[in-house]
Amino acid sequence: MPRQKILEMSVDWLQILDPEGNVDEDLEPALDKETLEKFYRNMVLMRLFDDKALKLQRQGRMLTYGSCLGHEACQIGSVFAMRPEDWFFPYFRQHGAQIARGIPMKFIYMYWMGTEDANMGLAPPNFTVAIPVSTQILHAVGVAWAAKIKKQDIAAAVYFGDGATSEGDFHEGMNFAGVFKTPVVFLCENNQYAISLPREKQTASKTLAQKALAYGFDGIQVDGNDVLAVYSATKEALDKARSGGGPTFIEYFTYRLGAHTTSDDPTKYRENAEVEEWKKKDPVKRFRIYLEKKGIWSQGYEDNLIKECSDLIEKAVEEAEAYTPVVENMFRYVYEEMPPNLKEQMDELMSFIAKKKGE
Amino acid sequence: MDIKFPDVGEGITEGTIVKWLVKEGEDIKADQAVAEIETDKAIVEIPSSKAGKITRLNGKVGDVIKVGSILAALALPGEAAAPPVKPPEVRPEVKPEKPEVRVPEVEIPEVRAPEKAAGRVLATPSTRRLARELGADITKVTGTGPGGRVMDEDVRKFMEAPAKPPEVKPPEAAVGEIKLPEERIQITGIRKTIGERMVQSFFTAPHVFSMDEADVTELVRLREKEKKIAEERGIKLTYLPFIVKAVIIGLKQHPYLNASMDSKKNEIILKHYYNIGIAVDTPEGLIVPVIKNADRKSILEIAGEMQKLSEEARSRKIKLPDLKGNTFTITNIGSIGGLFSTPIINLPDVAILGVHRIRDMPVVIEGEIKIRKILPLVLSFDHRVLDGAQAARFMNTLKDHLEDPDLLLLDVV
Repeated sequence: MPRQKILEMSVDWLQILDPEGNVDEDLEPALDKETLEKFYRNMVLMRLFDDKALKLQRQGRMLTYGSCLGHEACQIGSVFAMRPEDWFFPYFRQHGAQIARGIPMKFIYMYWMGTEDANMGLAPPNFTVAIPVSTQILHAVGVAWAAKIKKQDIAAAVYFGDGATSEGDFHEGMNFAGVFKTPVVFLCENNQYAISLPREKQTASKTLAQKALAYGFDGIQVDGNDVLAVYSATKEALDKARSGGGPTFIEYFTYRLGAHTTSDDPTKYRENAEVEEWKKKDPVKRFRIYLEKKGIWSQGYEDNLIKECSDLIEKAVEEAEAYTPVVENMFRYVYEEMPPNLKEQMDELMSFIAKKKGE
Repeated sequence: MDIKFPDVGEGITEGTIVKWLVKEGEDIKADQAVAEIETDKAIVEIPSSKAGKITRLNGKVGDVIKVGSILAALALPGEAAAPPVKPPEVRPEVKPEKPEVRVPEVEIPEVRAPEKAAGRVLATPSTRRLARELGADITKVTGTGPGGRVMDEDVRKFMEAPAKPPEVKPPEAAVGEIKLPEERIQITGIRKTIGERMVQSFFTAPHVFSMDEADVTELVRLREKEKKIAEERGIKLTYLPFIVKAVIIGLKQHPYLNASMDSKKNEIILKHYYNIGIAVDTPEGLIVPVIKNADRKSILEIAGEMQKLSEEARSRKIKLPDLKGNTFTITNIGSIGGLFSTPIINLPDVAILGVHRIRDMPVVIEGEIKIRKILPLVLSFDHRVLDGAQAARFMNTLKDHLEDPDLLLLDVV
């Protein structure tokens, strides 16, 4: 028998809106004015939210915070491709996606101020933020499998970064999803760095998207700074998942313009010239040009929008800071019924606090 | 309102003012950056949470500021501006909680004074730490970084610089006092560190000295023979790498010599790795580079590493990690002179081996006097951890391997 090729696979790249704001009319999604405005408004709100959070942290009003600057297109475009009843599993850089999912900003600020109670702002199908890398992938696959068994017409969307693709949980989740054809979409925000580790040291694979091929489903690489491409690819994947087509892996090819977190100094591991190159691909700017060409955007529109968003943010900060955390809540909602060891810890902490107050 | 310097990086304690971004008297907006502060992690901008007029900047560029202390004072709109007069610089932490225990204001400048001189040097906390570890007085180091900041390199260069002539204080002329011909030399740097460490070791660990001699005639022959091969590889082969190998065999057979003591927990820590410190004489004093995992290195590798580390130690280019982690130390006194010495244990080790000069000595072998090459050895050990019998057994193993270097082959990895 001759030696022969038994497998050939490929990965697509999708871009609809280029960095100069030129649109590919054949691929352009049919979105009405209202929807486009909603996209832009959320992208601007996300950027202002992020800027405020960084300032709060530097003023000592917030704990460690990971900036989402540069991720506007992949977070907003993907969330608006979901239906409200789809499951949403965010990772720790998902502030914009959370806002777009309708989670009040005050709860997001509260969470990063160190208030466990902030999770009261969440309810299924919005899952809590995953701080450990890639653990949420298993939850998402499980939820999707349950939905399939229950014959629910929903999908699960799980977000993670490029670094997560090296974790065991990622591979277990991908394999399971492939085998059981669970209605889940794997949304990987490849922002080129896992803290300081560059993408090329993360994996020898040419793309992250191709990882899906090994598990028997489709992977696609999308320009993560192009909100229209993100929306189209994510919507297609979710529709496929809901209709029994199984999972899809989407690699949003983007860039983290800020530091990994407020405790990180990116100048130690990447060149400023690289950051400047990526700023030219700014997701907000290119979408603004697109809207301007459509006659939606103007400077006056922008000024009003910024004013409106800034006011909302100031109000959210005010509310977040006015909240007094209920310490017991951090124990109450871990399990449905509190186990005795946790109860013991809670009692010990409460009596410690009471004693301190007495002093 | 006070603009404070918060913990901006998960557990930092201080930062250095790199740049003021506002001036006193300037009107600022909410969230406007006031200063750039360098922490252990990064240079960060500290913004004000409110709008207002800056009435005071607390500190100069280069000052080290503690987390939680006041960076600048801000008069909020409508608020009477704080008097432009600079109050005495007080650490804000001393803010009295109860009015009746208020510190009398006149005393405050005195409390503050000694810190000011040191505070002016512009350097990151990690550079300050390096200076402390190398024993450099950072206030005397010339900074070459931006704004005259002292960089790690500056500290290293400062320590490498030829020792300045010792500061000779002219004898103070005191009436009716006889001037003795004396000079005073400031104890600094390595000398100071050596002093502190030796006092700590000698007055903590009860030292016992075990002395012996090894007939190293065969080892001398072996080394003479292999010296040239080493030279061809650019390595100067001394006796020490052989001694290191023999010591490791001894340590493996007598593990309590490769240990340290945790006196707080009352525990002896036996170490299953072999990092051998080698004392090196340098113009500034004794420095002990450490050969890590020496059990996994060949004689030539040890020789090469030792050569490199000694050169770095002498030229003060040695890096801190290469001076740490010793589990046992060897001091080679023989190269200079002396018959025997009593070395002081290099903490946290529990023993140190002193190696002396090899001499031709008459030795009685099977009733005949022969001229042999004799190496005097001294083992100092910590009697809290070890007894004389263990030390003697270790010395026997060591001697066996030095006297019959072929035995070293048996343990080659």
